[in-house]
Amino acid sequence: MKYPLLIIGGGLSGIAAGIRFSRYCPDVLILEKHSRVGGLNSYYYRDKRILETGLHAVTNYAEVKDKHAPLNRLFRQLKLSRKDFKLHPQLSSEIYFENQNSLIFSNDFDILKSEIQSKFRKQFDGFMALVQDIDSYDPFLSRPFISAKEFVHSRVKDTLLTNMLLCPLMYYGSAVENDLDLGQFVIMFRSIFMEGMFRPAGTMREFLQMLTTQYVNFGGKLQRRNEVVKILKNKDTVYGVELKNGETIECSNILSTIGYEETLKLLGEDIPSSTLKRLGFVENIFLTEKIEENQNSTDKTIIFYNTADKFTYKRPDTFIDFQSGVICFPNNFAGRPSQEYKEIRSTHLANYYHWEDLEGSKHEYSAKKMELADQSKEVIEKIIGSFRDKVVFTDSFTPLTIKRFTAKKEGAIYGSPKKIKDGKIGYTNLFLAGTDQGFLGIVGSMLSGVSITNQHILPKI
Amino acid sequence: MTRDAIKELIMEIIADIDEDADFDDLQPDKPLRDQLDLDSMDFLDIVMELRKRHQLQIPEEDYPQLATLNSCADYLEPLLKDK
Repeated sequence: MKYPLLIIGGGLSGIAAGIRFSRYCPDVLILEKHSRVGGLNSYYYRDKRILETGLHAVTNYAEVKDKHAPLNRLFRQLKLSRKDFKLHPQLSSEIYFENQNSLIFSNDFDILKSEIQSKFRKQFDGFMALVQDIDSYDPFLSRPFISAKEFVHSRVKDTLLTNMLLCPLMYYGSAVENDLDLGQFVIMFRSIFMEGMFRPAGTMREFLQMLTTQYVNFGGKLQRRNEVVKILKNKDTVYGVELKNGETIECSNILSTIGYEETLKLLGEDIPSSTLKRLGFVENIFLTEKIEENQNSTDKTIIFYNTADKFTYKRPDTFIDFQSGVICFPNNFAGRPSQEYKEIRSTHLANYYHWEDLEGSKHEYSAKKMELADQSKEVIEKIIGSFRDKVVFTDSFTPLTIKRFTAKKEGAIYGSPKKIKDGKIGYTNLFLAGTDQGFLGIVGSMLSGVSITNQHILPKI
Repeated sequence: MTRDAIKELIMEIIADIDEDADFDDLQPDKPLRDQLDLDSMDFLDIVMELRKRHQLQIPEEDYPQLATLNSCADYLEPLLKDK
């Protein structure tokens, strides 16, 4: 049969697009290369324990009554009940620049405002002017790259405050070194500082199950372990795909969620050369026995830290850059039932090529992982207090792990530094959604799948 | 389908999109979007539901004709006359 829509990639943008389309036309097929869906936001098992990837804290917190909040719009679009979806809001988070300053924020935007008022008194008016400009900015218009750093700095006029505001937003989704596209910045500023963060009551596994159930109930088809090796085309029109097993499938439209360059490769096109670097990350998971509550960090959900004089966000020349990073406590959400272990996660910028050099030697690779997880522990203990004696389990993922399980080029979780905001890459019936379209995170990637399907595909069927 | 039945159909579709939609004070000559607090994404759902339920293909350039309950009736009456 010829599918009206074929979706490459069963990550969150692909599944959301699939639900959206199947709601009106059930003949849609998602092809996922791996045995598990979710892409960057998934889960795995170690020692019979479920461990999540991607989910630290979901952005875009919203109460049910706030109809136009992105989260609630998303649920409406997917015809999922927002009332049945229980959220645990973050406790509070911190931007901590060692020996310089710190800012606390939570899901109440007034807390960040009063922090800035008391700690950056002279910059407060500039910050409020920034907030006003963010409120009136339309981030969804297609524009060339505008530097968010310059935009912020021209208003708050203080390098430290500029960097402190940018740090969490960069770590939460900048594919560009030392900056952020203004449109992206506005989306992230609203999503993180103004709306806030939460986690769902269940794990990523249940979240994905909720989505795939909706998709399958609408009549959508999902094939796992089925890799596309070629997109079949005739000039600027695509008409099907060739699978690794030699089979071909015909379709009228393709939505590719696997990345811009990754898609060009399937189309047999040359990849444009670029000098922009992709950013890789290493993430460590430490499970510990319960730690006494007298620690200063136990009530924090996330700490974005920087220990360097000048904050930088760029690909390091070493395996990992420990000078800045994210420390996350996935158990520290309001109303979350007590877990058997306490979980601490640390994320740092990493250099894919250093890790790739070790790909041939399993022994060296795991030794390096262990060595650097230990260093990470040392670095974050200086910020949150000692916990090494309590650690019962450690695991790490490197840019190589990401590449292996998500097929992201260079394991760069935020994809190409160049984004294709309108989803168009020169074909009449092939569009891009997901990471390289430019909306990131769990809610962002799903909105990407929904909005590209709404814009380019649904009106034409 | 009569004009009234078409208006009923539109309201039924909107109720399905947004379970909290309140039709009590709905004025048939004022834009649905403003009165019911719908956004452009919700609006597309009205078009898609009409397609799904009555096999109507509404071209994008005609979307503005679905702005109010009355204009929906004007536009859809000839298209749904045999249904």
